[in-house]
Amino acid sequence: MKVKLWGARGSVPSPGPETLRYGGNTSCVQVTLSDGTMIVLDAGTGIRNLGLGLETTVPRVSILLTHLHLDHIQGLMFFAPAFRPKFDLSIWGPEAPEASLRDRIARYISAPLSPVEIRELPCHVEFMDAPHVEWDIGPARIRAASVTHRGPTLGYRITEGDTSLCYIPDHEPALGTTLDELEPDWISGYKLACGASLLIHDCQYADGEYSDHVGWGHSRLTDTLMFAHRVEAERLLLFHHDPMHTDDFLDAFHGAAVSGWQALGGDPTSIEMGVERQEIDLTPAAAA
Amino acid sequence: MNDEQKPLELILARNLLSSISTPGFLVDEHNELVFYNDAAAAILGKRFEEVGRLPVEEWSTMFGPFDDEGDPIPVDKLPLVVALRHNRPSYARLHVSSLKGERHAIEVAALPLVANAGGFRGALAIFWPIYEGEEAPA
Repeated sequence: MKVKLWGARGSVPSPGPETLRYGGNTSCVQVTLSDGTMIVLDAGTGIRNLGLGLETTVPRVSILLTHLHLDHIQGLMFFAPAFRPKFDLSIWGPEAPEASLRDRIARYISAPLSPVEIRELPCHVEFMDAPHVEWDIGPARIRAASVTHRGPTLGYRITEGDTSLCYIPDHEPALGTTLDELEPDWISGYKLACGASLLIHDCQYADGEYSDHVGWGHSRLTDTLMFAHRVEAERLLLFHHDPMHTDDFLDAFHGAAVSGWQALGGDPTSIEMGVERQEIDLTPAAAA
Repeated sequence: MNDEQKPLELILARNLLSSISTPGFLVDEHNELVFYNDAAAAILGKRFEEVGRLPVEEWSTMFGPFDDEGDPIPVDKLPLVVALRHNRPSYARLHVSSLKGERHAIEVAALPLVANAGGFRGALAIFWPIYEGEEAPA
């Protein structure tokens, strides 16, 4: 399983000289399985560059949307393969009582917000509610589960062989509680993330910023570290950087994260910051 | 630990109850008591951690409950049981006996917890003591 980050930013794209190294594109992670099957986690603005670089010989992509906030779908109508007639696009996302996934996404991909309607896309596109049971995409087993955020929001776990990737980019598991002593079955996202080879997790706020953002659906550093510690993730990648956080800020943030992780008994080499265009090879031989 | 991950709706309900001073009681989709908060413990006589998870046969009878005449209230008339079995909100005024032997008159409001996608997740009850001289709303 190979992972590439095409956008690690949260909330809103934040291009500029202050964000050159970590990147300004919003959430998008490419996952390539052993047989070449391609899964894309979220369709923030990072998916545009992914699409531009995708070989035209790739016939199909499955996009797993965690939720429909704009920073997770904004790149959809700029995903170049969607404009290829022979391309198959499967889009999974959270179900909601008021409308189908297609209709909810169509609120964005329609006038007046978009010049293109979903029905005009040349590719073959299908929209599916993520099921409550595990399902297969290529050689991988997929699990989706609701997690604490604003509105219907999923986290995903992708398992191929002994390798598992857990992706929870928008998550506030410590809302109204503390994670250090809470029973595991009461922790939002616990089962999804338990023992993951790589956990990609929300870490939007520094601890000092959190008090002004309680209930916004995102985690502060201390809570992200405690969540990763409780689920015993093998590696932790901090993700969904706040758009106000410059490269220099995130460098310092990484230092604080490593210190906090070590204080919990974590290996300092097993925690890293999400960086746009970063590639991670999780296949057992490469990861060893 | 129970291996089964709690559904998000129950997690959020527990977090809410943990954060408020209104006594509250939480039951899962299997009718099992899975949590009550410290404010409820002050009325019921023991903290949830001392009592633990309980099946409906136990939690629905261990605190009484009784009507104004002191007669036991049938289980299927309890607001939380109505919410669980009939999937609708319910209200009652009743009396409970704490695990320390104290009697309390309380009002209870219960509501079912139904997920966005329509799945039944359990029920939540909040209650509050009625002090002498207070009247229940008509």
